[in-house]
Amino acid sequence: MKRKINGIVILALMVTAGCSSRSAVTAPEASGTQAPSPKISSSVTPSETVALPPASAPASLSGYGFDQWQNGPLGDVFYDFDSAVLSTDAQNQLKQNAAWLENNSANKALIEGHCDSRGTSEYNMALGERRASTAKEYLVRLGIASPRLETVSFGEERPFDTGKGENAWAKNRRAHFVMKK
Amino acid sequence: MKFAYNIKTCFGMQFFRYVVAAVMIVLCFPLSLLAAEGGEYIAIHKEGSGKIVLALNKLDAPVKEESKLAQRLDAIIYDGLDFTGLFTMISPPLNVKNNSSRENIVLNFGALDSVGAAVYAGGAVTNTSGTISLDMEVYDTAGAKLLFKKTYNGKNVNEQQLRAIGHAFCADLVELLTGKKSIFGSKIVFVSNKTGFKEIYECDFDGHELRQLTNSHSISLTPALSPDGRYLAYTDFSSGRPALSIRNFSDGKTVTVGKSGVSIDPGWRNSREVATTLSFEGDQEIYLIKADGSISRRLTSSKGIDLSPSFSPDGNKMAYVSDQNGLPQIFIEDLQSGQVSRLTFSGRYNTQPSWSPAGDKIAYTTWENGGEINIFTIGTDGSGLKQLTESAGENESPSWSPDGRMIVFTSNRQGSKKLYIMGWKGENQRPLLQSDGEQMQPCWSLFCQ
Repeated sequence: MKRKINGIVILALMVTAGCSSRSAVTAPEASGTQAPSPKISSSVTPSETVALPPASAPASLSGYGFDQWQNGPLGDVFYDFDSAVLSTDAQNQLKQNAAWLENNSANKALIEGHCDSRGTSEYNMALGERRASTAKEYLVRLGIASPRLETVSFGEERPFDTGKGENAWAKNRRAHFVMKK
Repeated sequence: MKFAYNIKTCFGMQFFRYVVAAVMIVLCFPLSLLAAEGGEYIAIHKEGSGKIVLALNKLDAPVKEESKLAQRLDAIIYDGLDFTGLFTMISPPLNVKNNSSRENIVLNFGALDSVGAAVYAGGAVTNTSGTISLDMEVYDTAGAKLLFKKTYNGKNVNEQQLRAIGHAFCADLVELLTGKKSIFGSKIVFVSNKTGFKEIYECDFDGHELRQLTNSHSISLTPALSPDGRYLAYTDFSSGRPALSIRNFSDGKTVTVGKSGVSIDPGWRNSREVATTLSFEGDQEIYLIKADGSISRRLTSSKGIDLSPSFSPDGNKMAYVSDQNGLPQIFIEDLQSGQVSRLTFSGRYNTQPSWSPAGDKIAYTTWENGGEINIFTIGTDGSGLKQLTESAGENESPSWSPDGRMIVFTSNRQGSKKLYIMGWKGENQRPLLQSDGEQMQPCWSLFCQ
């Protein structure tokens, strides 16, 4: 019962947070008028958003950051084609992740950057690294200590969904969180 | 003047044989005249002047037991010369020899001329206590004279040795007629997942003699051989992250460039220095690294991804990929002045540059709007854009042959990724080798044995 109320509170906060940050951060389209950049818009800082929701576990193990390939405590974040920019949904997931890490200060995480199989594989290796770095930097800005977060890129080498078409590709464009001992 | 040296060698050798064996009647020409003959061929067979019509005769085997040997060498020599795309191969006319005596060969140049053969090659093979001797002669039809004559020896009868002997002749013939070093003896390294893991493999220029080079049971990618063939650089995931490994073939030792972040997609500048992308300073830039794994200096400094270095033959210029304008395009940096200019303006996503050993062209891939990936070549000054593949799925990772006449690449036109070969104008596209699993990311070495 308590968890359910927490869930509603979190949902409400997410919606509010989503509205307030929508104007501050835009996700450039993949047509690429500017280079994908790991820098987050400086107008979004922890002090401007609402307080991080208290949580010792995610509200549910389904939804944006959680799927058949991610059922740990930290949800994955997803990216647009040829982009390492964090969408609103991605930022919200990262806020959840930061909250969990705050409350579980002994834990470390590995952030893997992944790409879909289109384009050329060397470029995707570099793009995967930018995705992992972007996610890490956002968490560091939220106050998580950098040594707790390791990053690695797998490019297109370790796809989650091996199907073809946008449905499958979208699932592979992610920063994937793995708990470390 | 390499071809002149070859003729000098063959003269020295044949004089020795003449003294020892006194078997063959040898047509001796003043060195300068023969050099001029070779020069004529060089002048005639510049690029684009059409194929050389070659009448290749089957090898004589004076002893019956050696006829199988002769047949194997026939196939090796024929396939090797045919592979180069330089020749139209024809059988010599039945009356090509005016008499049947082996010791006193007189060619029927009139008969050769009537079938359109510009060059005739033939010879004999003997096996003396396990030592194979291949005696070859090459004649010019128009001048009715001997072009060169040489003996090639090998210690064993195995396939590798026979290929070495046959290809040594092919190399001499091609270098004599074109004035340029041939592809015989060169190797191709590539990635294959036939074991279930992506490992590095090597094969000869024609896809034969497949050898597995890594066995890390991890992911190994983007192999590159140094120009002298002494080092193999590649991206190696065995440590859990993509790191650059450099293996020294002379002592078998491997060094790893152990920096944080990625270390990927190496390209050799010369036989002592390799460039690769490292991200340990925060942004993905290209660095120059010595063969011992130590970092020399940083080569790029633009925000965003810098990737896939490929050097001009003199090592002074570098083509590479940068996404500084959004989607990736290819740029050229002059390493002496530091000046950077953009090379590709056509196509929204251009990667995988490969600088031709001939120096004048760069091959690369464009990811088209429809999803295809196609290989293009462009002059180093940005002119002469030419599309080489079309309507054939994804064609990637072009790499030039050492003579700049052919390109090896990856294609999934028949389903899964395999290695393909084509001429530098995109002609004669065909698979290089048959193997299980997928093959990709080929790199054609510059060195020849």
